[in-house]
Amino acid sequence: MVRLRQLLIDIFSFRDRPRFERIGFLIFILIVLIFPWMVTSAYGRAVMIKFLLFALFGLGWNLIGGYGGQVDLGQAKNVGFGAYATALMIVWWKVPFWITVIPGIVIAAAESFVVAYPMFRLKGHYFAIATLCVALVWKELFIFWDWTGGARGVELPIRSGVDFVYMQFNSPIYYHYFILFLFLMQFFFVNWFRKSKLGYEVQAVRDNEDAAASLGINVYRTKVINYTIAGGLGALGGSFMAVYYLYIDPDAVMPLDLSILIAMTVMVGGAGSIWGPIIGAAILIPLDMYLGAWLGAQKRLGIDFMIYAMIMMVIAAKEPKGIWGIIERVRKKRTR
Amino acid sequence: MELAVQLIVYGILMGLVFALIALGLSLIFGVMNIVNFAHGEFMMVGMYIAYLLSTFLPLDPLLSLPFAAGAGYLLGVVSYRLLIHHILRGPMVAQLFGTFGLMLFLRYLAMYIFTPDVRSIKQGILVGKTLSMGWINVDASKVFSAGVCVLAFAAVYWMIYRTKLGRGLRATSIDSEAAKYMGIDTKGMNALAWGIGGATVALAGALLAHFYYVTPTVGMLFTLIAFATVALGGFGSIVGAFIAGILIGLIMVISGQFVSELKFSFIYAVYFLVVVFRPRGLFGW
Repeated sequence: MVRLRQLLIDIFSFRDRPRFERIGFLIFILIVLIFPWMVTSAYGRAVMIKFLLFALFGLGWNLIGGYGGQVDLGQAKNVGFGAYATALMIVWWKVPFWITVIPGIVIAAAESFVVAYPMFRLKGHYFAIATLCVALVWKELFIFWDWTGGARGVELPIRSGVDFVYMQFNSPIYYHYFILFLFLMQFFFVNWFRKSKLGYEVQAVRDNEDAAASLGINVYRTKVINYTIAGGLGALGGSFMAVYYLYIDPDAVMPLDLSILIAMTVMVGGAGSIWGPIIGAAILIPLDMYLGAWLGAQKRLGIDFMIYAMIMMVIAAKEPKGIWGIIERVRKKRTR
Repeated sequence: MELAVQLIVYGILMGLVFALIALGLSLIFGVMNIVNFAHGEFMMVGMYIAYLLSTFLPLDPLLSLPFAAGAGYLLGVVSYRLLIHHILRGPMVAQLFGTFGLMLFLRYLAMYIFTPDVRSIKQGILVGKTLSMGWINVDASKVFSAGVCVLAFAAVYWMIYRTKLGRGLRATSIDSEAAKYMGIDTKGMNALAWGIGGATVALAGALLAHFYYVTPTVGMLFTLIAFATVALGGFGSIVGAFIAGILIGLIMVISGQFVSELKFSFIYAVYFLVVVFRPRGLFGW
């Protein structure tokens, strides 16, 4: 009983964070909860759903890229595993959505575990390029294979009305609360993770591998487990993508751009902070959706990505800790 | 038999181009320990210069080679001064994202200017011609490109191992702090490495444009091929890049003959296996 209580406290408590962060989080939750009732345009709601989706992706990537300090440029492969597991099981065997989520996560985690073993013999740039290569090989395989639908992709049967078994809805409001639920699940999981023993080990390894090893932490094992969990978390968002877009192909759910965008939301927001992915997604996704749509209408292809790239370069050169790093610095100056 | 010889000849010719592409990456990594994700985009710039000069001016694409190399040199130096110099001392994550940002910027700049259309060079002395040697038929442009690649490679090799400037580069790559105390302008050396890297890869791009289509997104693929080549040859090793380039060319052409959809997967697999099982590559130290 005591342990359960402690676990619940670990999951839901932010007592270790300053008060202004807790208030900020409450305001954020309130805004997200009432959002679909405030904004009635379909586009605005779609932007919100995409924001929550990428905040969810970012939370998963933050485990490996932020807390773990390992630059993973292949998170899209896990998204793809989740999306394909859900889509194929629904198309082949009509399995309810919530059951397909589990194999998606298990497959992504198992694959991450297997490739992590050789991959964590590498560090830094070599590791980053290796993750990129693995993700691209999977994408080529999914295009090559016939049983996954190949380059044609998979189309989900369309159901009318509100279907909580297959999680297909005729109104974006349902999708909004659906993705919000998944997001909060992942958010509280990460909140637990960062305070767990493994979470502290992962952060110790990031800060100084030799010091961590000298304290008795198995550096290699810590990295592998961390990468496995991050892989599993990536698949959850993939499953959502399958039932939200109702059509998936390798170019939609496992491209390199997706891996980069996921990593970038965290980098821009602030890697290694639980708020980082949310801040990053809140900036990049509306920018992408509104700017991209506006420029696309003007037939100016590419400007949105050029602005992305500029943000990326400026952040890399001036503020590697992202926007959260700036906020922290300003606050420290004030309290001093 | 004929097929085998044909494939090997093609593989070696492609491999020499890959070697020249990988040279700059290896050099930059050797001098300042930074991986340039925008490398393939530098190559794309060379390809577009060859395309533009040969399409809109009455110039043969061969004459565009020096322009491409010059533009590549400038691009390399400017990127170093404006971006790389600032991220060099930052954490590795920042370095990675810095060059990644550069890559995206160049790619989508090209997308903006040239639209995503696939283009190719249609006119030129060598375009579309084939050489027949016995029963082997080879594209004239490929033979010529391979020849230029060997020459460029020899020139860079000579510069690095036989001139004073090259000694400075090598000193910077071994220990940049110590080199600075010995009066070597290490910042200038870094910029020079980026310049040479940009020039060689843009030259390779201008050559490649003779027989490969030009699109804004062509770079990523060649960046990855260059990573695989450099990993196989050993990061920082110039001779290694040369031999590894030929090997990668052979792997790609031969695997492409049998499972063409997966020919790039083979290259990624080579990178993966090499860095995991022999991280210093064939000739690294």
